[in-house]
Amino acid sequence: MILQGLKIALESLWANKMRTFLSMLGIIIGVGAVIAIVSVGTGSTQQVTSRIADLGSNMITIYSKTVRGQASTVSGGSSQENFTLEMADYMEMFSPSVKKVIPIKQVSGTLISDDINVSATVIGTIDEYAQVNNYGVAQGVFLSQDDDRERRQVIVLGSQLAEDLFDNENPIGKGVKINYNGRIFVFTVIGVMKEKGGSMAGSLDEQAYIPLSVAMDRMTAHNYVNSYLAQSYSSEKASNAAKELENFMIKALDDPDKENFKIISQDEILGTVSSVTNTMSLMLGGIAAISLLVGGIGIMNIMLVSVTERTREIGIRKALGAKNKNILFQFLMESLSLSSVGGMIGVGLGWLIAYFLSNFADWPLIIPVISVVLAFGFALFIGVFFGLYPAMKAARMNPVDALRYE
Amino acid sequence: MSKVVMKIEKMTKIYHLGKVKVEALRGVSFAVNEGEFVSIMGPSGSGKSTLMHIIGCLDYASGGEYLLADQDVSNLSDNQLALFRSKKIGFVFQQFNLLPRATNLRNVELPLIYAGIPARERKKIALQALQDVGLGERVSHRPNEISGGQKQRVAIARALVNHPSIILADEPTGNLDSKTGLDIMDIIQKLHEEGNTIILVTHEPEVARYAKRIIHLKDGLIDKDEVVA
Ligand SMILES: Nc1ncnc2c1ncn2[C@@H]1O[C@H](COP(=O)(O)OP(=O)(O)OP(=O)(O)O)[C@@H](O)[C@H]1O
Ligand SMILES: [Mg+2]
Repeated sequence: MILQGLKIALESLWANKMRTFLSMLGIIIGVGAVIAIVSVGTGSTQQVTSRIADLGSNMITIYSKTVRGQASTVSGGSSQENFTLEMADYMEMFSPSVKKVIPIKQVSGTLISDDINVSATVIGTIDEYAQVNNYGVAQGVFLSQDDDRERRQVIVLGSQLAEDLFDNENPIGKGVKINYNGRIFVFTVIGVMKEKGGSMAGSLDEQAYIPLSVAMDRMTAHNYVNSYLAQSYSSEKASNAAKELENFMIKALDDPDKENFKIISQDEILGTVSSVTNTMSLMLGGIAAISLLVGGIGIMNIMLVSVTERTREIGIRKALGAKNKNILFQFLMESLSLSSVGGMIGVGLGWLIAYFLSNFADWPLIIPVISVVLAFGFALFIGVFFGLYPAMKAARMNPVDALRYE
Repeated sequence: MSKVVMKIEKMTKIYHLGKVKVEALRGVSFAVNEGEFVSIMGPSGSGKSTLMHIIGCLDYASGGEYLLADQDVSNLSDNQLALFRSKKIGFVFQQFNLLPRATNLRNVELPLIYAGIPARERKKIALQALQDVGLGERVSHRPNEISGGQKQRVAIARALVNHPSIILADEPTGNLDSKTGLDIMDIIQKLHEEGNTIILVTHEPEVARYAKRIIHLKDGLIDKDEVVA
């Protein structure tokens, strides 16, 4: 009888193709959205995760927490001033898991070439920065020890920055001015970095690098830096290294409450990122589930209209011997067919969207089976749940009244 | 002596329209024998259709007794009534009541579906029934592609496929011109000659005359139950 109901249901759906399609639309969109969103969520998470892993999971950053205004308070020197070059050496010395500590002085300003102005983050650092970050030049050379010792005003540009400033010309040997707090410094371009893409701090491709000594002595006249980049011997030792560095900083700054510094390891960033993207996927998935629910209400709506429209048909079928449950199954099968066919089309649509997005955004195409099963299962459930009331209404109709219905 | 197919006793039907009570049937009693052809006549609103619906197990009576094929039908459930409609009753309506989107064959198959006949057999029976009413050439047409007279033939074929105990026809010629109406009556006459039991409702005396017995209904009561020559 269920099979019979299914057959009659499919016949009547086929006879009303347009209405059938429209009533499936909600489910199609809902299921498609769930699949696409979950796929985009997992794909982008994987992309970000692997990018961060690329940055090196053995990297630890130590920031000065002090706000600029507080830095120069009279009372016994501020903590930012404790971020000296010697400190980097001590860190290396007292933290056995740490291989290398690189000081970083940030001197952001406007870069000027001929008539193009670009504001960018300029990082004063030393030659080992490139190697520690596993980040090399595409053209020219990176900063050298000599550049630092002799305070040469040379600059290495991120790939995007080089393009912004010099278009497609070869920038090596060209001059770049940096407007830092109203003063102009002239640099010569000696290298362009490889493309690297985004990081937590923004795109590395839009940064520039100059010798640390130039940033500290010539430009800022500060004898302290903003942060240190520490590299542990291996990624397994990263958490040990972070612990050692923390202990060292607590003692060195006499700061047991860690008020003046902050230590962030890549592992932590990874955790934050995946929890952020997970929350996002969950939220978007929730929205998609709501659209599924709305799709279900749409099906109920159409089914109710369909039951009313076909009151006479119901009467005829009953007069010819249909039992209440025959009618019930017929309409239930109709809504179930609507939602399952809609669900299948939705899976296809979601896959297509996910495919194009992953191609476009260049992340891996991942469609978790669980999302397909859940979305499709939910669609079926909605078909039964929202189909039940109209089907029961149809089944309970009084045959004489139904026959008389115009 | 012929066997009694259906028998009603003091049948009443009261409709409640809000506070107003409409007594459509006020105690109707009669019996129909196997193979009999009975016409029911009466003015509009006299309760003819109401009576047919109850005889056809489509509706419950408010009071009285009803025996159909030796079984008491007065107190059956929806489900059991559906079974009686499926096995014992064949309906022919004034408005034809064919499913507009189904082919003629499919329409004739419908009662067989609900009687649980397997698909292949069903098709054979339905095809034969359509041939019997002269529509062997029109099996895959839909109701809106054929004339009124042809529609009524499909409906007659549909009423016959389950070999019902009674064929109920409520004004089967009401929507047809008189020529086509008489064609339909010839078919019904033939069915009667083949031994089917027929109860027919009509306004037209020349249609009613096909039957050997005419029951006149008035205000929910039998006014006259006459045998015509
Ligand atoms: N569902 C209903 N609710 C209320 N009253 C009804 C209902 N069906 C029929 N009636 C009333 O019952 C009475 C008998 O109606 P019925 O349809 O049986 O008449 P009829 O003899 O078939 O008339 P006609 O020749 O016009 O078809 C009428 O007064 C009608 O108004
Ligand atoms: Mg009537």
